[in-house]
This record gives sequence, C-alpha cells and structure tokens, in this order.
Amino acid sequence: MPESDQLSVRPAAFARRSFVYRRLESAGAWFAEIGGAAVAARFGDTASEVETARRLGLADLSPLPRVGFKGAGAMDWLAERGVTIDGSRPNWSWRQGDGSLAIARSNTESLILSNLSGNRYLCDRLESESNEGMEARVYVLPRYDGLFWFALTGSCAVACMAKVCGVDLRPSSFVDGAVAQTSVAGLTTTVVRCDIGIENAFYLLGDSASAEFFWDALLDAMREFRGDAVGLWSLQALQAEVK
Amino acid sequence: MSGGASRLPAPWGAYIDRDRTVRFSFEGREIEGFAGDTIASALAANGIRLLSRSFKYHRPRGSTSMSGDDGGGLVQVGDEPNVLADVREVEPGMTVVGQNYIGSLESDQASILERFKPFLPVGFYYKAFFRPRGIWNYWEKLIRQTAGLGRVDPDTPRRYYDKTYEFCDVAVIGAGPAGLAAAAEAAESGADVLLVEREPDLGGSLAFQRFDPDAFGAERTLCRLRERVAGQSNLRVMTNAVCTGWFADNWLSIISGNRLHKLRARSVVACTGVLEQPPLFRANDLPGIMFGGAAQRLIRSYGVKPGRRAVVFTSSGDGYGVALDLDDSGVDVAAIVDPGSASSGDSLTLAARDRGIRVIQGCAVAEAVPRPDKLNVAAVLVGPVSGSDFIADDRERIDCDLLCVSTATAPAASLLCQAGARLQLSESSGSFEVTSIPPNAFAAGSVNGFFDLDAVIEDGQRAGMSAAHTGDETAPAAVERERGQTRRYWFGTEHPDGLDFVDFDEDVTAHDVCDAIAEGFEDIELLKRYTAMGMGPSQGRQSALGAARLVARVTGRPLSEVGATTSRPPAFPEKFGHLAGRAFKPVRRTALHHRHVELGAQIMTSGLWLRPAYYGPEHARAQLINEEVRAVRTGVGVIDVSTLGGFEIRGPDAAEFLNRMYTLSYHRLRVGRVRYAMVLDDAGVVVDDGVAARLARNHFYVTASTTGAEEMYPALLWRQAQWRLDVDISDVTSSTCAFNLAGPRSRAVLEKLASDIDFSRAAFPYMAVRVGRLGGIPVRVLRIGFVGELGYEIHVPSAQAEALWDTLMEAGDEFGIRPFAVEAQRVLRLEKGHVIVGQDTDGLTNPLEADMGWALGRRKRYYVGKRSIEIAAAKGIARRLVGYRLVGSVGTVPEEGCLVIRRGEIVGRLTSSAWSPTLGRTIGLAYVAPDQAAAGHVFDIKAQDGRMVRAEVAALPFYDPGNTRQGL
Repeated sequence: MPESDQLSVRPAAFARRSFVYRRLESAGAWFAEIGGAAVAARFGDTASEVETARRLGLADLSPLPRVGFKGAGAMDWLAERGVTIDGSRPNWSWRQGDGSLAIARSNTESLILSNLSGNRYLCDRLESESNEGMEARVYVLPRYDGLFWFALTGSCAVACMAKVCGVDLRPSSFVDGAVAQTSVAGLTTTVVRCDIGIENAFYLLGDSASAEFFWDALLDAMREFRGDAVGLWSLQALQAEVK
Repeated sequence: MSGGASRLPAPWGAYIDRDRTVRFSFEGREIEGFAGDTIASALAANGIRLLSRSFKYHRPRGSTSMSGDDGGGLVQVGDEPNVLADVREVEPGMTVVGQNYIGSLESDQASILERFKPFLPVGFYYKAFFRPRGIWNYWEKLIRQTAGLGRVDPDTPRRYYDKTYEFCDVAVIGAGPAGLAAAAEAAESGADVLLVEREPDLGGSLAFQRFDPDAFGAERTLCRLRERVAGQSNLRVMTNAVCTGWFADNWLSIISGNRLHKLRARSVVACTGVLEQPPLFRANDLPGIMFGGAAQRLIRSYGVKPGRRAVVFTSSGDGYGVALDLDDSGVDVAAIVDPGSASSGDSLTLAARDRGIRVIQGCAVAEAVPRPDKLNVAAVLVGPVSGSDFIADDRERIDCDLLCVSTATAPAASLLCQAGARLQLSESSGSFEVTSIPPNAFAAGSVNGFFDLDAVIEDGQRAGMSAAHTGDETAPAAVERERGQTRRYWFGTEHPDGLDFVDFDEDVTAHDVCDAIAEGFEDIELLKRYTAMGMGPSQGRQSALGAARLVARVTGRPLSEVGATTSRPPAFPEKFGHLAGRAFKPVRRTALHHRHVELGAQIMTSGLWLRPAYYGPEHARAQLINEEVRAVRTGVGVIDVSTLGGFEIRGPDAAEFLNRMYTLSYHRLRVGRVRYAMVLDDAGVVVDDGVAARLARNHFYVTASTTGAEEMYPALLWRQAQWRLDVDISDVTSSTCAFNLAGPRSRAVLEKLASDIDFSRAAFPYMAVRVGRLGGIPVRVLRIGFVGELGYEIHVPSAQAEALWDTLMEAGDEFGIRPFAVEAQRVLRLEKGHVIVGQDTDGLTNPLEADMGWALGRRKRYYVGKRSIEIAAAKGIARRLVGYRLVGSVGTVPEEGCLVIRRGEIVGRLTSSAWSPTLGRTIGLAYVAPDQAAAGHVFDIKAQDGRMVRAEVAALPFYDPGNTRQGL
C-alpha cells in the first residue's frame, strides 16, 4: 500500500482505539493501520523524528497486541508453547525469536508484548489456547485493554525518567531486559528496559484509564531535553539499523 | 568604569562577563553590573554595602561572607522575599529592595527600637504581653506587623518546580581542593561519582583564597585538579547546587535552581570546608566589616575593590593573604592587627611585612566606630591583648572604611552532623572539631581539620579512595595523616558598652548571652531556645562557636563539655516550591470521557475518576437531571459505569471463594446467572457491593462500587492469602468499560445491532449474563436493574468501548436515546429504594440497620462478618434505614446529612434526599430509631436552615413496588 494511503487512516475508523489517540491527533500524527487499529506512524519528517527518538522520543505503542497470563502453571504453560521465559526470575524480560517480548512480572504472572511490527501471531495463539490452560491454572489477563504501552527512547531517557521515577534506571544498574514495577509520575507502572537498536529505550505500561495523564506528564518532563512524541516508524527505523 | 565605580580591571573577576552588562534596580536606583555578578557584588561595585536591616533592632546590615552563609544579605527580589543577595545572580530588569525597614533603607524609622534595648532583654517575649489578661490581643497585632523580614505576596504566580532522582556510588559535597581530589581519586578508583558544588565554578577556596606570596600556587593547583576531574567519564559535576540535607542511608537533598535532586549515594565525602567566624568587639555588625574571605571573593571572583582603606584583623596567616590581596587590588591597607604575640613566620606573613604593611602584633580590635550616619564602619579602636581574649584600655584609632576579619573558623559540618557526626569544642584550637563520623561517610580537608594545602589535597584523596572502596573489604585501608600544629583562634570578649553581637540574625549580644546564663540557661540547647541564637536565617553558622565559647568562659566549664546545638536539615534555605515540586495528580478517565465532554457533560470527580454528573449547562442542572430521569423511565438512556470495579475470579475454588467473601450463596448459582454481591468486614459492617456473574463453572465476573473498587482488590487478595484456595483473582477494572442501557426501549435498541446474543425476555431474563458480540465487538451483558427499569449492563474491552458507544447511540437515535449521568442515576435508584454503599451506609452500618437482611445467606455456615451479624441481631439494632417522603407543604427541602430529631435528641440522619420527577415529590432515605421504622410513622427533621420539617416513613421501593418494569 502506498504511504499516502496508509497514512490516510483515522483512529476513529477502527473499533480498537489507542487510549491517547486524541492527543496524537492534536499533535499532528499521521496514522497507519496495524492489526485493526491505527497507530501513530509519524508526526513529521521521519528522518528528523529518528533523531528525536535518538535524543528523547515518546511513542504510543498501545495499539500493538499484548496479553497477560497468570496462575500457578502460567510459566510452565508458556514455556511448553515455546515462549522463552523463566518464572524463577521475576522482573525480567526475554526477547522472543519474532521480536516480541515476554516479561515475568512475578513468578506466576507474565506479559507478552508483540514486536514493533505489531505481529499478533504469538499473542493470538497463546490467547486462543488459554481456555485449555484454565485446567492447568493458567488465566488470561486482558492487558491489551487494561494497560497503555508507551516507549520512551533515546540518550536522555534515563535523565527524563529520573524526573518522574525513583528507581535507579541508569544503564549500569538497570540493564537491557530489566523490569521494575514502580511508581512513575505517581502512577503504578511497569518499566521495562528494552533497547531499540543501539538506543536506550524503556517500555512503560500502566493503567489505561490514566493514559492521557501519563502521556501529558511525560511530555512535560521531556521538554527540557527537547524531547517529543515520535511515531512507530522512527522506532522501526532505529531497530532496522542493527539488522 | 562600567559595572560600577569600584570595579577592578581584568583579570580580577573570574565569575563576571564584562561583555554583558546587566542593569537592575536597587531601592529604586538603577544599578549596572555584569553577568555573573551577584546582587551583592554588583552593589559593592557601585559602592553599596547596606542591603537590609536586622531583625530586632533594625541595625544596618550587609553581607559579611559573600557566600550566602550569613543572614545580612537578605533582600527582596520582586515578589520573592529573603533572597540571598550574595548568592543570587543579577538578571536584567530585576527589582531589588532591602528588607525589614520603615521609611527608607538608609533612614529606617524602626531603628529607634535600638534605644529601647534596655527594655527588650533577651527572652523578653517570654515575660511580657500576657498581663493584664487579654492584652495579648493588642500586642499580637503589633508584633505580627513588625515580625518577619521580607514580604510574601499572596498573589505570586505559581512557578514551576520539580524534582529528580539521582544515584551514584560516591557523592562528594564541595569542590574545593579536598573535594576535587576526593572526587578524582574516587573516580579513578572506578566509582560512579557525583561532585556537588555551591559556587558557579569549581575550586572552593582555591578560586579566591591566597595560599602563597606570588598568588599563583592556588591557580596551578586548581588547574591540575580540574584536569583530573575533567578526565573522568564516570564523574559528574553539579555546580550552583546546594546540598541541604543528609538523611538516613546517604539520601541527600540537593537544590539546583528550581529543582530538588534526591540523591542516593553508597558513600558520601563531605568536603564542605570551614566557615569564618566573627570575633567579639563593639559594633562588630556594621556594614564595611566582613570576613577576609568575603573581601577576597569580591576581588578575585567579581573584580570588585572592597574598600578604600582597610584594616585586617587576623590570628592566622590567612589574614595576611587577605592583606596582600587588598594591597594588590589597590586598597590602602592601614594595618594588620594580629592578637598573636609573635610573628608566625609563614610565607604570607613575611610577604606582608616585606611589602611594608604595618603589622600591629599583640593587639586586637576592641571596637568599630561607625560613620555619623551609622551605615558603615569609619574607624576601629585597637588595643593590646591582655590575657586570653581580653583587651587592655589603651586604644589606638585607625580610620578605615573596611575591616576584614580572619580570626577564627569553624568546620562547616552541618551536613556531617545531620548524618550522625558530632561537633566537639577543642581546647587546643578553641574551635569545633568533627568527631564520630558514621560508616560510609567521610570528611576531608579543612572540615576535617587540615589547613595546609598539600595536606588538604592528600586528605581528599584518602577520603575519595576510602569512599570508592566502601563495602570492599579487600581494599587496603587508607591512613589519615597527622594534622600537625593546630591553629589557635582569637575570639574576643564582651565589650562593657555592649553592641558586641554574637548572633547577627537575631541581634543577640554577648551581654544577652551572659544574662541568659545568669538566669540558668547555661545548657547550649536551652540557651539557643531562650535567646533564639542560631534560629535565624544563617542557622547558627556564625554564632554557634561564639555562643559555645561564651558559655565556657562565663560558666568556667571546659570547652570540651559545652558541645554544640543539634544540626537539622535544611542546612541551607529551601523553598516550599522545592519541597512541593511538581505535583503529580493522576486522574482516571473512562474510554468514553471525551464523548461525555463533547455532549456537554459537567465533569465531577469520584476518587481518581472523572465522571459526568449531568449533561448540559450548569444553570439548568435541576431541569437536566429531571429530563435524564424521565428519558430512562419513558424511553431509553445510557450511562457510563466504567468506573465500577471488575474482578475475574477463576479456578476450581472460585465459587467457594465467593461464598466465603460475599454474604449470599454462590455454589448453586447457575452458569449464565447473576446475583447481588455484598461484602462485610469482620465487624459485620457493609463495605461494598456489586454483582457476581457466573460465566463458567469455575469462572465468576464480579463488580464492585466505584468508590470501593480500589479497596476491594487488596481485600480479596488478603482473604485469598489467608484461605489459600485454588483460585485466581484479577483486577480488570481498567480493561473493561461498561455502560448501562436502561429504559423500556433498551431492548429495542440492542435488537437493532448485529449480535449473537438473543435479547428476548425469554432467552435473556432478569439477573442473567450473556457473552457474545454486539456490533462486532466482544461483550459481556448483564441484565440487572439498579435504576429499576429494563436494563442491560454492557461490559466491553476498554479500547473498543468508544466504538460500541457510538454504535449504540446511533442505533438508539430513533428511540430518543439520551445519555444520563451520576446525578440522574442517584435519583433513579432512590426512586427504586436501592442503597448506595458509602452514601446510605457509613463505617458502622451493618446490613440489618440498612434493611438489607435479605442479602444475608442465613443458611450459610460462613461468610466474612457472619458472626458479628449474629451478635448484632441478638443484641438488637439501634437505628434503621427507611424511605421517607416529606409531609405537607414544605418550604425547605432538607439536604442529605440533616438530623432526625425526637424530643430534642438526635436519633438519625438523612442519607439521601432528592426531588423525584417521577413521583413529583421529595423523597429520601434516612436512619431513624427502630420504633420509628414502620411505614406511615411521622418523624421530624432539622433542616439545614434550622427549621423543623416533618416526614413520613414510606414503604420501599417508592417506584414500581411490584418490580415489574425491570423484568419486562
């Protein structure tokens, strides 16, 4: 599909809508469809947006698939289905072969995030099989709707996070893959260090009902670093640099 | 010369940029300074030393330290009071005025208070103002008018302050020679280091003090240390940053601009240096008298000639360095007054003598003589030292406009003391020494008792290495070197004619201290509280040593027994803005929030949630609520109830869990059915309610009230932690949006939409649940009737809720669908007699009192609170919730909270009160005495205006008593 057609989509044309789509529209986002939802692909020139993402960018990944699993048998059940995850290591994340991410929030609770292409195969497969998992003490959690998913990227991301979060997120202390469930801007948030390409990046997941508050709070904290909202394409571009 | 008449040529003035002139006003007069100047330095360059007036006697004050350590340099900048003039950098257009005067700064009418000094002895406020009885009311007004320093403007606009968290292995406080060496050493040892410096640039005393006759040694040392620091990638530097507190586990508060940095460090090295201390002599507080370091800062940092003719009063080589600097900058040094009996023979002393500067050995300054206008020093009277700290009467007058004092220092140990270190007076030096430094904390440099520059640097390196290896038991222990010969400081003695100030902030003189001691306040902590010494803006930085030495001398106790007062944070001034920081106030919006706003909703808060109260303009509130009620009763309405809590209870023991947690029975609830769910606490008090829908044999979906949801989830987990049933509990409140489609035409609206759910009465009865798709969107639909009409509570994934809302509104258009909100729902449920937990119940209400005995599973063996309910039932209840309607023509409609009165006694209160558009009258719920609860009983209500209103108990529900409408 030509870029112009891709970018002609509007969030309200889809049943599934980002929790902050109005904020994105106001900021002049151009949207692209991914898996039945509109994701902010870019706000302006992608090349300059990549530079913003290198310095400090905030991207809304909420339209991308994710699902959670919980229960005494959840970790084994996921491992049996080919997911790399270790329940004995809570607050850690593992990149999967397709680029999606498996997060151990505790030794009985996980969160699966799709890759940046929005490939929903893994999430869908696991969710569809979760009914049979009920007997194995595996319970699906509707994280697609319950959690917003933002990415904060770039060299200033740590300094920016230090304004809103009391956890030591310096690269030496909070390495790629680390997970913290803590308070960010006064909101309970799961922080995942998930570098994109060679750039620092944090995935931030929190209560979807507070998504707009959180988006605004982060943009305010980002201002001193000249950070700004960026589209998914700039993140994909960062990721492509190392492929 | 531009930038002020007293400006020195370059290279003096390391901090100023002579290419950038800054103009501002002081006391209405335009002042010209340079970028990099402080207010005080720019004023000094323009010949202005008088900055403000003292707190008690309104004596003229100027900065004595030029470093923010004294309280003499407080000024008002615009609407900001108590600004440190010797720290705040000048900005173009800033408006600066002095503080605490009546009339003009130079001619302060309130300075007459000094004449009443005999009537205002120390602690006078403890002894006055309370007799005769009632006189305090008069004095209070007067005192409040004169109290305080700057003026707070209540209309000051909100400013942006924020906070940030910092982490490091080693924090070094102070970037003087010891701090630079410590930071470099720690970084070279591999530690992640943060170096914090108050000044705009690194160097500390190296930046302004003279360490050798040619004055190049400090610069060379500074260059070398700077290079070491700059070469470390693991060393961060914060300048213009003040560490104000050192809390448990090395948590440091650091203020930089409008930001509070909250730093957590593995170990901390305090290289905070020493503070010069004022000696005692008459009129030692006059403008024109400053510490030697202050004069050197003016010269070297700001390029300001501090005076025309100076006397230097010193008891160490440092003062001779001051004299050399003054001489170099063109100041006529009239004399160096040294109480020591013999020349120390160090290089600075010799250099001063070599230049031919007059040195008056064995003498001390006994008195400063003010100018006729009393605004500056005009001369000093010098006399020979007679015994320790005493001066003989044989006085020589030396004219001068500047007196530099370098007679004593005290370690700047406030932060160290906050961390747990102690200050002890040393007999040998006559000053404080830092002892008992806690683990993972280090002191280095002059604060640690080293003064020779090489020794200071070596001590810094020792501390830096030790700090870097904190916790590493294999690291070799660094050895602290010997301190060598200690300095003996001159302190001076009280002057028989007074005005010998110990504490400049509070105008406390040596005589005041002696009087207080004579009254029995000889303990240093009591003395502080009685005299207010150390409680002013400088927090005792320049008075603690003087007070302690006076106590020792007057009481005859050894110095080591006197001690020091407790240091508490903040060590330096903090603003409320810094403490408040940026306010994070999370709010929760439902997925439909923007649709509500587009529909003109008035938004209210409910906990963190933002909810519509009603739709339309505020002035038409009552009418709009009535219209919304009528729409539901006669057609169809829809309300956003996404704020309800939602929990998935899954697992083999799911029914057992619900059976224990909630009051009704759930074991035999059929799949596809819904049952009311009420929760009690162990005391049998109603804490929340909702419904439980059985979606599968081992799967329930349970709702909770908006206000109770947040507490219910941990309550459920708490019970599960005790019961250890095979069940999983998940909070899906934010995952799920819900709206209640209610009214006789609600089924017709749903049947317009594509769905795999059969909404017919037979297939989908009252209190049933169905799972399917509606308009292509996955839904759970609960047929329940909170508002007493045919109704469907539709639960939908949050991200798709807006789309379904839009679809429903479109489908309902032909049926006149109308959104209704919280206020209308309150009326609708009241008409139906339904209780809102938290509004119609309180923290003591049990279900029997709330007339909800029907919701108790009487045949159940257990549920939370059952035992308490049985006891309450046996004991009998003291109140009963009933419905009521007002009797007769009512002028005043009583509001919720109004009291039910019987024979002058309170027997209950109204919990709900509203106009019912359906019934055409005011109805409500109220607690009354049990013997008043029968239908038809008339009782009295004391309305909000004090009038008594009659009401009659009514059978519930008010509306549709046969419950036919919700079962349509």
